[in-house]
Amino acid sequence: MSPIDPRLQEALDGERDPGELAADLGEAYARLIAATQLLSATPRLSVAARVMAEIRQNPAQAQTGGPLRRSIRWLGRPITVRLRPAWTLALAAGLAAVLLLPFERGGPTPGVTQGVAKFVGHFPGARSVEVVGSFNDWSRGALALNDDDHDGIWHADAVLPAGQHEYMFVVDGERWVPDPLAGRFVDDGFGEGQQNSLLIVRPAAAQP
Amino acid sequence: MVNNGAPDVEVVARVLGGDGEAFGILIRRYEPGLLRFATRMLGNPDAAADAVAESLVRAYRHLAQCRDPERLRSWLYRITGNRCRSHLARRHTNDISLSEAPPLADGSDTWAALERSEQVALVERALAALPAEKREAFVLKHVEGMSYEEMATVTGARIPTLKMRVHRAREALLAALEEVVR
Repeated sequence: MSPIDPRLQEALDGERDPGELAADLGEAYARLIAATQLLSATPRLSVAARVMAEIRQNPAQAQTGGPLRRSIRWLGRPITVRLRPAWTLALAAGLAAVLLLPFERGGPTPGVTQGVAKFVGHFPGARSVEVVGSFNDWSRGALALNDDDHDGIWHADAVLPAGQHEYMFVVDGERWVPDPLAGRFVDDGFGEGQQNSLLIVRPAAAQP
Repeated sequence: MVNNGAPDVEVVARVLGGDGEAFGILIRRYEPGLLRFATRMLGNPDAAADAVAESLVRAYRHLAQCRDPERLRSWLYRITGNRCRSHLARRHTNDISLSEAPPLADGSDTWAALERSEQVALVERALAALPAEKREAFVLKHVEGMSYEEMATVTGARIPTLKMRVHRAREALLAALEEVVR
């Protein structure tokens, strides 16, 4: 395989008029264009019916819905998240102490196969912060963080099923932010090197 | 009822608002290109249909995660590209076998159709011999007609890297085609 003349590459990239190419390069240009045209036929397939059937059969999806619907969905789902975030080591240390508090202190009560997670993030100036993740089908509006004292530290507690969950923060309803200090990350599967934060919820029964 | 010609952003908002049927508009809009892309990547129409169906269901489930609905097309290609890569990885090779790359023939039983079908098979064989990354870059550029900027969004690769892959793919294809002519 020998390198193609740069002028031919430029013509194929639309950076040069192919009419200016020498005869041999013009022939190669035409051959490649003809090949791409042969590849451009659209397959006589359709997966539309199959996809829509799947969606109708299991309609749960990341729709935002209204506040009432979101609340009902949230209440009806056994939530559980265990959060690792913090924005400084100091906060992480403080958080560790908070996480060690017994759950009976007015917080959510997990079942045997659930655990409590505390989400914390530092987002000064944010108007809203929420958590979306695999535990709520990435549904917006299902788990909002609060910053009642307006110090830029947003937090929320949740009960989640024991196991591994991916999650992200959504700031001001539009900015998706992985938890910078989450202990683990996983590729979000959508390319661009984006990563979801990963948390592992241990069942409350297994916690000391 | 959302208009079939409504912009992607409007349709996405409709779906996220609870109108799951509106997702059918997006399927009809992007299915042909996605199937073409997946077929060229996997060389097998059945595998391509599986990859695209899985990708569209995944896109529906994670639609709220689409950070820029105005670039929905790129997002869908990205998901489909990832599915194709996963499929190829499961086969423990990035190459597709020739037997799995049947031509997308016209279907009409004419000499011209047969000849065209053979030409398609020839080009497909040359494409199938490319490493997956170069094949993907070539297909996105020349079959799907994307700009290098959009290709970067779809693949996550840098534009100079993509240009290099396309250039190398062209060289390999041209060499394969000239070999046959001789």
